[in-house]
Amino acid sequence: MNLRSLFIVTAVFISLLGNLASAQEMTGLEIMELVEENQRATSDSAFNRMQLSTCRFGIKESRITCAERPRIKSLESVGKNFGDDGKDTKSVTIVLEPAAERGVGMLSYAYDDTQRDNETWLYLSALGRVKRIASGNSDDDSEPASVFGSEFTTEDTDTGKLEEYEIRVLEEATEGGREVWKIELIPNAERARKSRYSKTINYVDKERFIVLRVEMFDQYDNEIKRLLASRVELVNGTWMARSLTMMNLVSNRLSNMAFLEIHTDIAVEDEFLTTRTLTDVAFRETELEKLRQQVD
Amino acid sequence: MPRFSRTGLVLAMLFSAATALGQQDEPLVLDPGLSFDPSVDFGFDDDIFAAAFDEEEQSATEAWFEDFTIRISQSTSGQMNNHSIDLGAFGKFPKPADLETNRLQFNVRYQNPIAPGWLIQGSMWYRVYWNQDYEYTTNQDSIDTEGQLNDLFIQRSSGAHSFKLGRQTVVWGETVGNSVLDIINNSEFRDFTIIDIEDARLSQAMLVWDFFSTDNSSSLSTFVNLYPEFNPAPVRGSPLFFDPGFNLPDYSRDGKILLEAGTQWKKSFEGSDIAVMAAYLYENQLRYDPPLPGSADARPDINDFLLLGFSANRAIGKLLLNFDMAFSHNILADSFAFPGTSSLSTPVNLRKDQVGTSFGFEYAIDNEKNVSLGIQAQTLLDAEEGLQPGQTLTNDGVFGSWLVRYSNAMRNGDLTLSATLQGDLAAESLLVFLGVDYTLDDNWSLSSQFISITAKSGSFLTVFDEDIRLGMTLTYSF
Repeated sequence: MNLRSLFIVTAVFISLLGNLASAQEMTGLEIMELVEENQRATSDSAFNRMQLSTCRFGIKESRITCAERPRIKSLESVGKNFGDDGKDTKSVTIVLEPAAERGVGMLSYAYDDTQRDNETWLYLSALGRVKRIASGNSDDDSEPASVFGSEFTTEDTDTGKLEEYEIRVLEEATEGGREVWKIELIPNAERARKSRYSKTINYVDKERFIVLRVEMFDQYDNEIKRLLASRVELVNGTWMARSLTMMNLVSNRLSNMAFLEIHTDIAVEDEFLTTRTLTDVAFRETELEKLRQQVD
Repeated sequence: MPRFSRTGLVLAMLFSAATALGQQDEPLVLDPGLSFDPSVDFGFDDDIFAAAFDEEEQSATEAWFEDFTIRISQSTSGQMNNHSIDLGAFGKFPKPADLETNRLQFNVRYQNPIAPGWLIQGSMWYRVYWNQDYEYTTNQDSIDTEGQLNDLFIQRSSGAHSFKLGRQTVVWGETVGNSVLDIINNSEFRDFTIIDIEDARLSQAMLVWDFFSTDNSSSLSTFVNLYPEFNPAPVRGSPLFFDPGFNLPDYSRDGKILLEAGTQWKKSFEGSDIAVMAAYLYENQLRYDPPLPGSADARPDINDFLLLGFSANRAIGKLLLNFDMAFSHNILADSFAFPGTSSLSTPVNLRKDQVGTSFGFEYAIDNEKNVSLGIQAQTLLDAEEGLQPGQTLTNDGVFGSWLVRYSNAMRNGDLTLSATLQGDLAAESLLVFLGVDYTLDDNWSLSSQFISITAKSGSFLTVFDEDIRLGMTLTYSF
């Protein structure tokens, strides 16, 4: 349940404008490096409002749709990058809906250094205090953490550490009417021990540099998850997909992450990204109001 | 039917449906020809999520109502096992199956940041006791109602300071469920619908001042309890009530002003939090002396004491270690270890020092499964000192309790199976709690509970030995 992932997943699908001529010459690694570089910029000093919907899905007339009324969570999150290279992220997310979870807050510190465990604190009104949780979302753990109980996991969203993958462009193709590169990422032996996937195939929009689709395979080469991106829009000068849908082909359940509001380059006080924000509601609301005023 | 075979049957019924719901299939192979219509973004019919992007004009009423969270629940539970209680020299008493609770409860929570730096928060519940609820029976077989205010405080935060005035809770300690430091607020275990301290804690009228360091990595939290309250006596007619032959009244202050105060310093490090604390408190549990001749009321006693404490945690990957330690000066000997079971006076009326610790771990097996263990152990210092010849303490040597919790969240958290085992260190009693929580949609949820108690003769839970309870609660939240 690492909040960093909420920002990372946004960034993964941000396109890079310009320099299209040189892009024709790019290798798969170069393309993914640019995506990674861009994701840090978009997760820094960010204030987002999201809706996370989860349901069991079915296929009807060759179209995928929810087979039940989706469960919906509304979230508000604030994040900021830290560290020497800005590769560490601190973020806080508050659940706005559903009513049963309203006010639940989570603070996450994600460290790029594989030697440092990520940290997560949770505030539950029933407990009456902030509680450090054993999140198990460090890179040393083999089991990726779920993002707020959805089908999104940290592994699905974290594209960092590209040196641990063999990356190659499989072919050029068309996806949803857009020209794309199909880029295959195969983890090396060390990465494979931490990964649920034996490989992923990413469909990257050649013009807007957005990953439009990702297919994820298990060790038996079965596709077990698929990510679809939609509602591609130019947001704050960068292209991004505001609707991401992760389908779990094993459990037949999917989660859709809709970015309702995206604001970057806002001034976030360091003090806000601390445990005080979870317990001191008056402080939190005051600081959030300052952030809202920046984006209004 | 033997008890354990019946238990197995119940368990099978309780979990079979849940397991079926949580089963997973082989990977779905998507048809390569599955069409993706670009006009609706790859053909995925995300129109069902489209409403999220629609700008909605909210009425003033809706905005006003957003400050409220309301939960309405209907719960029914009962003791299902026909058996008898063996009270040794007092003989055997039949304990037939019986419906214990049948009630509708309204929970209202209000949280409103009324102005920059200001917050008002409150919560309360209101219950309607239907036919066969023990409150209904106590009320001469007629529908009864009851309400209770929990939180109600105003908060002011400015700069590094935060002040909260009103009814609220203060929670110390790291070990969830049975911390020796989680004793600031009183609690009420009225029946077996509540077995977790988190749900039993009662708010009290306090002034709390929090001071945060510049980077918020450390804080100093100080409270003054302006009106210390005590654990309520078991409600007459409830499963935890046993008629001692006299009344168990509340403590009468008779104009006496009681105050509690304490302070905690907390510091966060990477992967760890530590805290030290000190407090002047009254024991939450009243002690009752027998009634005077001609009176039907027992005489409640209170006792003040000093608490010094230390707590720490350490996260190592998916493992979280917890540790609490408490030194209590001048407490009454023979405080019982099991919450909610102590009301009656014991013959020993000495004040002693006590050392206690609670420690344990929480481990995230994977995304869905968690397991935790907590052990609480306490011992009186110089326990034998002051005892009359032949006199013994009920809490002799090391006493305390242990708690194991396991949970498995499936279907993206919509279906949660949980199990709790709780017992005392002397291995005289065991409480098994199994729960299934199913979220039907964003508003409706259904939960069911199974509780089994096993206790040796003479232990605190003797009268619940062989009890098997089943309960179900339907909840609507908005």
